[in-house]
Amino acid sequence: MILRLAWRNLWRNPRRTLITLAAVGLNTAVLIASYSLMDGLWKQIVANATNLVVGEAQIHAPDYLAHRSIYNSLDDPQKIMTALENQGIGAAARSYDYGLLAHESKSAGAQFWGVDPAREREVFDLAENIFQGRFLPEQPRRGIVLGKKLARSLNVSVGSEIVVVVQAADGSLGNDLYTVTGILKTVGESIDRNAAILHKADFETLFVSEGRIHEIALNSRGRLPLEDLARSAARAAPEAEVKTWRQLMPALSDIVNLLDVTIWIFLLIFFLAAGLGVMNTMLMATFERIREFGIIKALGAGPWRILRDVAVEALLLGLAASALGSVLGAAGAYYLQEIGLDTSAFAADYTVAGVAFDPLWRADLTLKAVGAPVVVMWLVCVLASLYPAFMAARLDPVRAIQHV
Amino acid sequence: MSRRMGPIAGAGWIICLGIVLMVSLPLPAQDRPLSAQEILDKVDDLYRGESSHGKMTMTIVTAHWTRTLRLEFWNKGKDKSLIRILSPEKEAGTATLRVGNEIWNYLPKVNRVIKLPSSMMSASWMGSHFTNNDLVKESRFTEDYTFEKSFEGVREGRKIIEIDCRPKPEAAVVWGRVAVTVLQGDYLPLESKYYDEDLRLARTMSFSQVREMGDRTMPTVMTVVPADKPEEKTMVDYEEITFDLDLSDEVFSLRQLKK
Repeated sequence: MILRLAWRNLWRNPRRTLITLAAVGLNTAVLIASYSLMDGLWKQIVANATNLVVGEAQIHAPDYLAHRSIYNSLDDPQKIMTALENQGIGAAARSYDYGLLAHESKSAGAQFWGVDPAREREVFDLAENIFQGRFLPEQPRRGIVLGKKLARSLNVSVGSEIVVVVQAADGSLGNDLYTVTGILKTVGESIDRNAAILHKADFETLFVSEGRIHEIALNSRGRLPLEDLARSAARAAPEAEVKTWRQLMPALSDIVNLLDVTIWIFLLIFFLAAGLGVMNTMLMATFERIREFGIIKALGAGPWRILRDVAVEALLLGLAASALGSVLGAAGAYYLQEIGLDTSAFAADYTVAGVAFDPLWRADLTLKAVGAPVVVMWLVCVLASLYPAFMAARLDPVRAIQHV
Repeated sequence: MSRRMGPIAGAGWIICLGIVLMVSLPLPAQDRPLSAQEILDKVDDLYRGESSHGKMTMTIVTAHWTRTLRLEFWNKGKDKSLIRILSPEKEAGTATLRVGNEIWNYLPKVNRVIKLPSSMMSASWMGSHFTNNDLVKESRFTEDYTFEKSFEGVREGRKIIEIDCRPKPEAAVVWGRVAVTVLQGDYLPLESKYYDEDLRLARTMSFSQVREMGDRTMPTVMTVVPADKPEEKTMVDYEEITFDLDLSDEVFSLRQLKK
């Protein structure tokens, strides 16, 4: 009965109601879209940094990262890999050492990686991050994938033959001819300049380093909380050193933390601006009706009844506006999530803390991103209408009627 | 190759694997003691020359492996040298050519000559405790350093002279200090200690096994021990050496390198 009355009351003045509805609805929609975009930015930076190659956590032999010696390898890497597999955690094992690459008159130092191409494809995105050619095949064929700047400084392209010279783990001089199968897209300064990626079997032959694994990189693609992942890794490799991406990339971790604060400040401003706009609309719409309230009061309605009526009307209006706003906002955010904002016009290849950043800015639409704006807007809506209603309820009917 | 990014060298005067003398030094009986400059130049000249050719054994001991390379070397003037590995089998035929400040390596397995990038100059040569930089030093030691006799007397039962050398401000050298110790009388080198720019000991090179070789008496074994890994060392043992022979520039050409 009250609801029907309120609903009819709303449509007594369709113009006013529609304007309010549009204002609240659009504000909600914009909030949902910006919330999703901000959330997307944060997640994208983390995903960019971890999914490509670093992973969410890494396992090394104690002290490996300080000196990166080929001799400081993991004990029983196969056992660690099996343990991780049993826990359903995606992992890729890698070996590293340094050496020299030469092509015609050019030569350059490089960091060699021995990888399992199938694992890299399954767990990480590096294999798709190819500028030219393709990633290593699953069978060892003395193919090599190079960082973009390294390839440029050697003046090689896909199909070029390249001489590889290294000092093997037994002290001998390892050297061989390799064929460039692929060149990576911009990834980050260190990989762009140094990475020379080989099949693990080729790496072991070249470096005489059978079974030496220096790194196991873990990636759940955001499925597992970081702490849980680190705990599982520590359980799988109790003797080794486990580091999360926040420890591996402290600069990026700081930037992400800073970004988190920035995002909250921005969202606060957005909410304030949208809230004030809605409040203003609701205040004006209710003040307009003070004369009407006076008449109702003169007809014998108590102050609580006026307050109740206004509150229910605002609630209904807010509900309709939220419905409208969440549909519009979610649609917008979904568009931004699927299509994204192309920022490449402003910056070509740019990196955040040494990690290449996708110029396509994608939103991340979550329940939270829809829920928070809806609840906040609704609250503002009701509260903003209660104040003038409260004033009207207290007014002497005669004065209220004469209120212009 | 860059694993042992060891001490960046600059004083190849001693180390120059090929070596030679401009003037042969049958020591004239000397009445007056040599000055610090004369001693340093003499040591410099002992391992430097118009040309030389010989064979040596290089034994490398690291924490992870020990290996022995047999090498044949040719030198001409201050700026040309060629070293070829004779054994072990896996590396036999591998050669390093140095002309001026540039180094090329020939790899018989892939039949390619590659030029060493300047970024690899401070990297180890063939896994030893010598760096590529050790091969290329051209200028005379006394041109780059100021020096003075810092000790003259008996140490460990031997009469020695120690000369303290500090780089001249404008000299392109990597050491912060070099202490050269020679024996009194014949002025043959005993030991050189190399200190980095923070004046911490980086490596010690000692000379032993004084023998007649070629036309002179000289220490025929050189041992380098890096200060941060005292259990490691590289030992060079000269098997034979001939000085002042007629070597054509062709020996030091890229074409010849491949042969």
